[in-house]
Amino acid sequence: MIFDSYEAYKQAGFKPKACILGSGPAGTTIARKLGAAGIPVVVLEAGSREFSDESQDFYRGKTVGDYYFDLDITRLRFMGGSSNHWAGWCRVLDKQDFEPKAWAPDTGWPITRADIEPYLGEVHDILELRDFRPDVPVSDDIRWVQLIKSPAVRFGEKFADELDKSKNIAVVLNTYATELAGDGKRVTGAKLWSNGQDAGIFSADYFVTCTGGLENSRLLLWSNQRSNGGVVPNAVALGRYWMEHPTFEGGNAILANYSEFEVDNSNEAFFSPTLAAMERLQILNFGIRLIESPYPSVKKLIADLACTAPSMAEWMSSQLDQRLHCAAQLYVAWEQAPLASNQIELSKVDVDHAGVPRIELHWKKSPLERRTLLEGLRLFGATMAQKNLGRVRIDDWISNGSDYPTTEETAGHHHMGGTRMGTDVLKSVVDANCKVHGMDNLYVGGSSVFCTSGQCNPTTTITALACRLGEHLGKVIAV
Amino acid sequence: MSNFMRKISRRAIVQALIALPALSLFRNQPIVAEPDEIVEINGWILRRSDLA
Repeated sequence: MIFDSYEAYKQAGFKPKACILGSGPAGTTIARKLGAAGIPVVVLEAGSREFSDESQDFYRGKTVGDYYFDLDITRLRFMGGSSNHWAGWCRVLDKQDFEPKAWAPDTGWPITRADIEPYLGEVHDILELRDFRPDVPVSDDIRWVQLIKSPAVRFGEKFADELDKSKNIAVVLNTYATELAGDGKRVTGAKLWSNGQDAGIFSADYFVTCTGGLENSRLLLWSNQRSNGGVVPNAVALGRYWMEHPTFEGGNAILANYSEFEVDNSNEAFFSPTLAAMERLQILNFGIRLIESPYPSVKKLIADLACTAPSMAEWMSSQLDQRLHCAAQLYVAWEQAPLASNQIELSKVDVDHAGVPRIELHWKKSPLERRTLLEGLRLFGATMAQKNLGRVRIDDWISNGSDYPTTEETAGHHHMGGTRMGTDVLKSVVDANCKVHGMDNLYVGGSSVFCTSGQCNPTTTITALACRLGEHLGKVIAV
Repeated sequence: MSNFMRKISRRAIVQALIALPALSLFRNQPIVAEPDEIVEINGWILRRSDLA
């Protein structure tokens, strides 16, 4: 069932056991799991079926620190959530991403990759993926990894019919849960805002916040403030350890034979470090994306090489006559160190139309990440040269330690952390089952529970974690 | 003229002087650059042999 207003929903007399806030990949997946288990569930979606400026305006906010995107363009507030502008790139976090790393504080999850692997079959169906091939070692330091560019499932579109026909799932559009109320053990209700006004208090046995990697923290921070700590009793880490995937052009490469690596339909190939290389260099995970360069760029690059290594440039020139596709731009996206200082706070001066404080995001890239960028490119360049696969040139701004450019991609629009998973209540918000520490009936879905970011796009892992949480919650509720 | 100089022939002195450069063979050899060594020059990650 899909209702366009909270008023219409109330008239239907539906009695849910669980309430999910948000209809993005996490919320929709959990709802489908519960619905399939015969558990009545309501999904409250703040936006409508389509994009609107009025709805997006609730997402405006402020960023302090490094340059970042406007907060109302880096996510979407309507049915299907941010899957509506997702590029469709898929990969699950690496096994090593779940492991603690002695050289990077506050890394490590309370679960392993093996805990989400049983759900990857479902994830492949949901995201319409073929099987991933195993990583291919290029050297002891570098892996050739696969990142599948899927059809980019828009959850609101793909599952609209299924949700509409479901007897166990009610999706209520244009209904914004502005805050949760709690007594330090249980959430007792959600305050709603619908059609531009207060819509009363909503109650359910269980609540799951799936409002996104920024909004989950905002909702819980505001709820906790209003409930005097009754919603997140252990709130030291709430809003903290927020992460992105910084993304910049890092240089160029001339390859001996571009077809050495099976590129995808966009002529791109992806590379990441081995755990041994990360440990030896004490760096974080990263992904290097090779993108085929246009022909004039190749000539310019070889001309530059001729100043440094004439004979190599001459050989490359001769190769160019035979193969026009032998050069590539290198883009680097890397894992961000989980830092408590990267955090979501509530604005003290600015509120949205419903009176909820807007987000003030404090975000800075750390020296460890800067070293990951430089050493990662050196590592990749050394592998290419040692294996005679090609030669790499690192961009000057990276080699000479200049500031990050503000004209490039900047980051991946991947919002992770803020309600991270863990066992230490001082450094995490939810437990291994995504239940808020100390609360009996409050769970969190989505990338805000990530402890570390890895280097890959988060949607595949978000969906796997949502399948796992949906199954767990189904068992809890059924008892 | 000392006893030593009287006992050594002029020919022996000349031979010793000619042999002096050969002593360098017993000194440490200069490090020969490894052609597969990775070097970073002007942003390029290269093999040393690329620079030939």
